[in-house]
Amino acid sequence: MHALIEQARKTVDQAELYWRRRRTLTVGYQNYALQQVEENDLSSVALRAIDDGKLGNAYGIFPDVNGLIDDAKASAGYGDRATFSFAPAASYPTVETYDEQTAQLTSQDLIDVCETIKGRIHKALPDIPFGIRCQAETSDLLVESSEGAAGESRSTGFGIVFGASFRGVGTRILKGERSISPFDVGGSLIDEFIEWYRWGEDTSTPSTGRMPVILAPEAAFLVLLPLLMGVSGDLVSKKTSPLLDRIGEPIFSERLTVIDDPLASGDPNGRPFDDEGVPCAAKPIVEKGVLKDYILDLRSAAALDRSSNGNGFKRALFGGGAEASPTPWFANPQIEAGDESWRDLVSGLKEGLLITSGMGFHSGNYPQGQFAVQAVGYHIIDGAVVGRLDKTMISGDIYKDLQNVRAVSRECRPGVGSLLSAGKAPYILLDSLQVAGA
Amino acid sequence: MKDRLAAIAAELPADYADIRFEENRKVRILYEGKKLSEVAMTAMSGGHARAYANGGKAISSFSDPERAGPIAESTCNSAALVGTLRDKKLRLAEAPVIADSFLLSPAQDPRRISLKEKLDLATHYNEMILAEPNVITSQTYYDEFASRRVFVNSEGSAIEYELLNCGIVGFIVAKKGNVVQRVRFAFGGCEDFGRLLGREDDLKKQIVKACELLDAEPVKAGIFPVILDPSEAGVFIHEAFGHLSEGDGLQNNPAFRDRLKLQTDLGRPILNATDDPTLEGRPGHFVVDDEGVRGVKTHLITEGVLTGRLHSRETAAEFDEPLSGNMRAVDAPFTPLVRMSNVFIEPGDSSFDEMISSIDHGYYLVGSKGGQTSGDQFTFGAQWGFQIDNGRLGPMVSDINMSGELFSTLQAISMVGDDLRFNERGGCGKGTPMQTNRKSGTGAPHVKIDAVTIGGV
Repeated sequence: MHALIEQARKTVDQAELYWRRRRTLTVGYQNYALQQVEENDLSSVALRAIDDGKLGNAYGIFPDVNGLIDDAKASAGYGDRATFSFAPAASYPTVETYDEQTAQLTSQDLIDVCETIKGRIHKALPDIPFGIRCQAETSDLLVESSEGAAGESRSTGFGIVFGASFRGVGTRILKGERSISPFDVGGSLIDEFIEWYRWGEDTSTPSTGRMPVILAPEAAFLVLLPLLMGVSGDLVSKKTSPLLDRIGEPIFSERLTVIDDPLASGDPNGRPFDDEGVPCAAKPIVEKGVLKDYILDLRSAAALDRSSNGNGFKRALFGGGAEASPTPWFANPQIEAGDESWRDLVSGLKEGLLITSGMGFHSGNYPQGQFAVQAVGYHIIDGAVVGRLDKTMISGDIYKDLQNVRAVSRECRPGVGSLLSAGKAPYILLDSLQVAGA
Repeated sequence: MKDRLAAIAAELPADYADIRFEENRKVRILYEGKKLSEVAMTAMSGGHARAYANGGKAISSFSDPERAGPIAESTCNSAALVGTLRDKKLRLAEAPVIADSFLLSPAQDPRRISLKEKLDLATHYNEMILAEPNVITSQTYYDEFASRRVFVNSEGSAIEYELLNCGIVGFIVAKKGNVVQRVRFAFGGCEDFGRLLGREDDLKKQIVKACELLDAEPVKAGIFPVILDPSEAGVFIHEAFGHLSEGDGLQNNPAFRDRLKLQTDLGRPILNATDDPTLEGRPGHFVVDDEGVRGVKTHLITEGVLTGRLHSRETAAEFDEPLSGNMRAVDAPFTPLVRMSNVFIEPGDSSFDEMISSIDHGYYLVGSKGGQTSGDQFTFGAQWGFQIDNGRLGPMVSDINMSGELFSTLQAISMVGDDLRFNERGGCGKGTPMQTNRKSGTGAPHVKIDAVTIGGV
């Protein structure tokens, strides 16, 4: 047992420790020039305590340990009645999360990777404000509780995001990949960036009305974040979820299956245990359109008279980390691939939109499934892209508009650069969304 | 600590280096409905080092103060490596050396208020919300951030300074049938705890609006003339224009640099916008930034013409423009970025009634609900709105998000009200990783825009 837990146990009834050391090495390019190297080594700690039946919290970055315990105890003095116990001992699944090669990368290694990408893009598009961010990360995570949970994991992450604003405007296009291991960005992704950038050199504004829309993997957050809120045990227990009492009912088209898979080997979002020390498990959320389950942390599980299913994470739409309270959150959501090529989805449209992102998502009523965002993407006419979208908004309700899914692509990719940092999704062709344009 | 860090900074192998070390305390009290979800305290300390060497730049964040020396030295070496790979060398504008302390003593210092008193206040407001029959849940959040910082640089600056803010913010969630609506409320946002007291009438107004929204029709999609209330107009000037006045965003974007040269016509002569960190009692008030430079008032738009920009020492040198002291980091692990302080539209001379009566068919949009910007593209939400038909306010509308392009929208500002008001609570997200900054204020009078795109049904 960690010394901090043992020490805390002398003054409180139960204690839970979350300790994370994160070392990152990042190189950043802007406008084809290396801007800076950033090297961070940060430890953060969260201590939760249950004392006299009440819950207390304290957080710190390199804090005084005794002060941390005192803060947690003081917090518990005013805290709410604890409705749950911290996680008990459990055996955790084995997940491949670490690659020593990533841990040994130097800034020169990262610069070499970026220079290769930069060189290839520069040949095709020499006068665009092209940028790259390449990061290698090594994290050590420990979650222990006085009730027996003892999770310890080491993980690495290697990620590259590159892209550029279109000439003269702020709208930009990003592409990227991530893994636990170093990789070279494939030529196909670079070629796709060049193709998509060229698509966007002209603009086009669709007329106002309903029309077919393809959501690219980068735009999957428009679906996954409202769904996350809907299946969150937190909202369900407060009876504000639009999916309250709907397990077993169809909520989407039968073409859509969503799973949460923290056990995916080699995926940087792989996790053997959640941030409360509960074992993680792969689970269907929506199967062929039918709602299968909610995601729960310890608190919401207790409120619903269930057990946590290992989805208590210190995450939030913005922020997260040690300071955030555990809340039900997807570990690694995946929308399952279909069997069509995304290029066929594009070529099959008389008129429609290919959406790569949406601005202003967080200003909408997304917990209820709704969104109204400035559309970032492309206008398609007669099966071909005619330009990037300009002066266009799309709005919808995932529980209405995802009833009618025409097709799902076989290609599946991470939603790099989006609000949702984890997960993969295919291209999804919706029968129609409301579009505000010319 | 200050002397030790100053000694380290003085010996670093760089053209310029600085170290910032922080000891911060946070208090959070969160009600979610009847449930007191969290009473939490955070103690955090940590440092950040920056170095410029050979025309390159590197930065590092660290937790352990004992490692400040070796980490800062390694940062200098990384900066030199970057310099070897850059054709265009980075430079810093000259700044005065400051050796001083800037500590805070607000009228009612939240650091001296007991945790129980803060909890009782949050409980009181939360119970008020939940007493309304249509309200199904609430989120009532007290937060306090107290930061004591030491800044030293290789030029001899050695500064101790404090940042402090406290606030109560939250959501009122009302439900009728299948319709659920949320309305935000926010008090405080500055150093003074007294600003949080006696706000029952203000909270009641927001509760009433949340309930009224349940019967409001969703806004119609299309392009309309709108009047933004001061809260919404403040967010507009922050999101749509303010971010493009930050030098670091423009530094490596040749197209926008070209479009945003000083003396460029951006709007009609009625439009004036200012950034001012010297406004005490506003969320974005500070004395020195996290680069050791004094914050000063900057006239960004004067009679429709671009007249100023916000800078770091690096961007001031790059643009050959005056220092503004806007380089700020939210917390110990983060590097400073160029950020607005209190940005606002100066008052004009139109009355609200004149503005309403000038619109045949459009919307009056009320209450900021956050926004997002990407270069010249912006999107932001409104808490609620009203139709305007034939120069008169009509029924309430809900679920409002609007978007536009900066340059055409600034030109479309056709009336500016005479009723400047500041939002109490600040907030701005910028950077990768995202730095969410509470110390960022906004303000404006009512503003009429001739055409914006509204997403709706």
